[in-house]
Amino acid sequence: MKFFNRIGGSALKASMLAALFCSGAALAQDYKSMGITGVVGSADRMLQRGDYRGAIPALEEVISRTGGLTDPTGKDTAQTCRFQLARAYYQVGDFASGMGVLEDYLENEPRKKERLALRMMAQGFFDTEDWDKIESLADRLLALPDLEKDDRYNANLLLGQARYRLEKWTEAVDPLSYAAEFAKEEQVRGLCQIMIVRALVEAENWSVLFGKLPAIYRTDSKYDINLNLTLMKAGKALYEQDDFLNALLLYRWVLPREELLDFANKRVTRLEKKLQADVKRGIADAEIEERRGQITNIQESMTTLRELPPYEDEVTFRIGQIYATVKRYWEGYVLFDKLYQQDRDGELGEAAMLQSVLILYDVGEIARAEERILLYLTEKPDGIYARTLLSMMMRDNLIKQNFARVVELRTHVEAVPAPQTEDDRSLQADLHFMLSFGYFQSREYKSAGEQFGVILDDYAKSDPAPDSEYYRGMTYLMVGDYKNALNDFKGYQQNNEYGEHVAASLFREAVCEFGLENIAEAEAAFSKFIETFPENGLVSEAYSMRGDIEASKEATNDDPYTLDRALADYRKGIDKATTQMQASYAAFQAAKVYKLEYKWQEIIDLMNYYMDRWEEQADVAEAVFWVGQAQIELGQVDEAVAAYLDSIERFGNDATQQGVDKIMLELIKVASGHLSDEDREGLAVKLKLKQTNIDARATVLLLRLRVAQAMLQGDDIAAALGAELLEQNVDLTITSPASLALMCDAAAKTGNIDEMERLSDYFMTTYEESELLWHAYRAKAEKSKAEGDDWGVLQVIDDAQGMFGADPDMGWAQILKAETEFKMEKYAEAEASYNMVMGVAEWRGPLFAEAMYGMGKCRLAKGDLEAAHSFFQRVYLLYKSYSDGDWAAKGYLAAADVAFKMGEEEKAVNTLKAMLEDVYTNTNPLAEQVRQQLKKLGVE
Amino acid sequence: MNGNFITLTLAGVFALSAALEAAQLPAKLVMPGDKSWEGTIIARDGEWIEFQTGTSARAIRIGAKTVKELVFEVKIDSDKLNEMNRNREYERIISSLDRVLAPFAEFGDIPSNLTVYKALLMELRYKTGDYDKSMAYADQIIMDDRDPALQDKSRVFKALSLIGAGRVDEAEKLMAEYGWSEGLEDDASPEKLYITAKLLALKKQYADAMELVAKIIAFNSQDPDWMQPAELLCAEIYTELGAQNPMMYDSAEEVIRQISLLYKNTNEDDQAQKLKIRIEGLRAEQELKQSEEV
Repeated sequence: MKFFNRIGGSALKASMLAALFCSGAALAQDYKSMGITGVVGSADRMLQRGDYRGAIPALEEVISRTGGLTDPTGKDTAQTCRFQLARAYYQVGDFASGMGVLEDYLENEPRKKERLALRMMAQGFFDTEDWDKIESLADRLLALPDLEKDDRYNANLLLGQARYRLEKWTEAVDPLSYAAEFAKEEQVRGLCQIMIVRALVEAENWSVLFGKLPAIYRTDSKYDINLNLTLMKAGKALYEQDDFLNALLLYRWVLPREELLDFANKRVTRLEKKLQADVKRGIADAEIEERRGQITNIQESMTTLRELPPYEDEVTFRIGQIYATVKRYWEGYVLFDKLYQQDRDGELGEAAMLQSVLILYDVGEIARAEERILLYLTEKPDGIYARTLLSMMMRDNLIKQNFARVVELRTHVEAVPAPQTEDDRSLQADLHFMLSFGYFQSREYKSAGEQFGVILDDYAKSDPAPDSEYYRGMTYLMVGDYKNALNDFKGYQQNNEYGEHVAASLFREAVCEFGLENIAEAEAAFSKFIETFPENGLVSEAYSMRGDIEASKEATNDDPYTLDRALADYRKGIDKATTQMQASYAAFQAAKVYKLEYKWQEIIDLMNYYMDRWEEQADVAEAVFWVGQAQIELGQVDEAVAAYLDSIERFGNDATQQGVDKIMLELIKVASGHLSDEDREGLAVKLKLKQTNIDARATVLLLRLRVAQAMLQGDDIAAALGAELLEQNVDLTITSPASLALMCDAAAKTGNIDEMERLSDYFMTTYEESELLWHAYRAKAEKSKAEGDDWGVLQVIDDAQGMFGADPDMGWAQILKAETEFKMEKYAEAEASYNMVMGVAEWRGPLFAEAMYGMGKCRLAKGDLEAAHSFFQRVYLLYKSYSDGDWAAKGYLAAADVAFKMGEEEKAVNTLKAMLEDVYTNTNPLAEQVRQQLKKLGVE
Repeated sequence: MNGNFITLTLAGVFALSAALEAAQLPAKLVMPGDKSWEGTIIARDGEWIEFQTGTSARAIRIGAKTVKELVFEVKIDSDKLNEMNRNREYERIISSLDRVLAPFAEFGDIPSNLTVYKALLMELRYKTGDYDKSMAYADQIIMDDRDPALQDKSRVFKALSLIGAGRVDEAEKLMAEYGWSEGLEDDASPEKLYITAKLLALKKQYADAMELVAKIIAFNSQDPDWMQPAELLCAEIYTELGAQNPMMYDSAEEVIRQISLLYKNTNEDDQAQKLKIRIEGLRAEQELKQSEEV
């Protein structure tokens, strides 16, 4: 960087000219013979006309004569001539001689031109690049008092560059900053700025550098190639030292190569054009040389830049990584996205794609992340990161329990090319493992088992392989394939002596043996489990199941204590339980055994023990139910009722305590089976009184008490309450299954479609385990029916039957199914559905009559009049008493109608007459219709 | 965003001025063809101005619309104004400028050398949240076609002021009119990305807004004028995203840290420090809520 020499020189020259003598010229001659005044006059004249070479001998002569003088005038003359001599040497290009004279000048007094002399000295040292001397001179210059602005600027310029060249980075910054601020020429300012950046980078003074960069980047200095290379190099070094933030803040100033080259190209063109014009105009050779040097410097830096391997993408990637590391996720994302979009097939592009997805997960943009992954997998199933991305997406969905989403990825898992490396094999095994769990949790056990099988067959040495054997066993167990399950559980134990699932495998081995009815083996395995793993979380279940085995044994004279052993195991089951479910199972199984032995008090004690042990977590409803049963058996009906009431009151204000609703139903059952009308009435009053004594804020409990009271008072009052609640648009958050059931029924009864939908949806989503949920299904089915959506009806019924099967309360579903099929003219299916009603003993009653009547309708619709007649006939013969003879009356009428259709009028008339004679039907409202008909036929 | 403006405007700024007669303003009148006269504006009369040259004994009437430019005499103490601006004494600058420009108010529709001050006022009014006034200046500058770059800048400030004032529909309409609603790819101009991000943030579409701001920062990092406000907006949006994902508060704090490092003693730094305090409050609220849930 020689620019200071040139620029500084120009400034110096200007100053020097201002200080020139203004005296006359003199011709070169033999000064020795001249008087001092004549010599001075000659020198003056020559300087005046610019003959510096000619003035040198005259000035030297004056100095030789005056140099030794000690009087002030003589000293002044000698010093003035020294200064002018130095200046003359500078003008003729003899800097060495000039500097020698300046040294003398600066060592003597007076020094009226000291500032200028110092600057000239410093300029002289530029040629020899003696930076120490320049620094010293500049320091000396700056120490002078009352410096002019121009002197201060030049001194700083000199000092800054000297220190820069001496690599005194920190010390260089201040003088360079001063020079940059006060430089009049853009070029000087720019070069100062570039040196400042380099100095700060070398000094690693990041905070000052970052403070200065914004200002620098508002100028064209930002296009300097060296500046950019400096920043990039420093950024890389910092990145490698894990100094991410500083690396980022340096990296992000780096301009793209093309932008830098473009600017440099234009600059070179501009400089060359200007140089050519100036050469034509006529400028000094030195200046031409210097400007050519400047152009060459730029061209060299352009070559350096061109020869650099591509850095833009790498820098972009690094910046992206840093942004992500410092949690500036979105900045990282857009950079990675850009890299990927511009190079989807390249290694860097694919890596950027992976990074972008990672960031989307970080910021919670899961849908976008998945969209990108799926697009990538579709476009490039053989992509470098196909497995990694799949793994990421599957894992995330597994964690979020979106198992269906995991399963959907199977096609992609299978589309990935066969793994070639160990890493890929390991990753592929993981994918199958996650897929297996997706299926397992979706209860698609067969597919889950197949996937575990893939791991065992194809990736037997992978990490998930041992677990896969256990879990495949679980898939078999879940579908009741005890034989294969047993093989896997045993296999797991053999192959994994210290495996994580050894205990569970042994337990499940016992379960499988039990399932295969190998009772002795099951008992042995449970015993082994209890003995080997006494503290295992499954030991309670092991005790309970061994208790089940003992309880199922026939007591004999040789072994009369089977039930005792069963009870002992159940007790252990309760003691060892780690979950409420385990304890409940043991407790209620034990209660069943006690019941077999009529040990009612033991049941009460056991349930109290169980409730004390598990407190709020206990299945209080079931326990109280057992207590109540036992008390009733012990003749303690009042105590049973009191226990039920107490439980309702204790837990009833929590809508989620569904057991309370179960107790309410049980209370109603006990009241109708064991209480007199008077006591039942008294109980209703008690419930009513409780409502007045309870805090009005206990809204859930109050509603439950209202419902219990209404149910106690009979179906009609309960139904009326349901309608009332519906009408009042009661807040659903205070409802529980019992009240929701009444409201669903009311909505269905009134045909209120909106309410049927609202209530059933709420019921299903809030109390999906409730045993009263069938009311919601019924309302939903009625809604579909009201909307004429036959398939909808069948779907709802299918769901309801899937959940409740042929429970006593579910007859309506089968009848509605048959009716819907009949409406859809699927007569065979409808008849089969009606016929199924007859197969469920619990549905005996009016449903049987309705089903039989329905079967008749199906046959009639198919034109099978004989069979239809037969079905109708059976209705009035078999089910006379149901529904106050309604079904029988309908049967008579339908049978008569078929007889007419068959042309058997007499048979028809006789049927109608029989109806009028039948005591179950002759007062039925339909009887009047029959009388009119017979009258028309002329039959009396 | 502000750097250029300040540089432009402060290059010649100010401290007015010779004492001015209310109705008589020394000025140079420039007519089409760049013919000009030195003189005094005597009065404004609707579509006319009365102008008296220094040599003429009586005033002439000139149609205001025919004047190419008026060059008023305004003396400026640029050092003082620069210092005030560096010290973010915006209200003081506004008050001084308002006072200085008041006598010229009735000539606001005629292009003049005062435009540069109006541009500064437009920006400062925006910074101080006086969006209506910022828009009023922007409208005046938009009509003046002598400096297309300044016109563009004014359009930006008009849109920003509409957004700042919460006038979503008008902002959207304006942006559609300027074609800023489309083409928000990586290479879109930073101002377009910035304005759209602001609008999206106003509409609470924070993730979309964040992506646009991130593009400014990622692809225009060598542009100090737009980086500074974009960094602040970035911190603000990360803060909003923190309501859903508390990790984003960390992001916002990181951006604030970087603003302090890079743009110390700037308006953005001041705003960022306020935001930092807000984040602390939000974090505390969130922690309290979580402890209550537990």
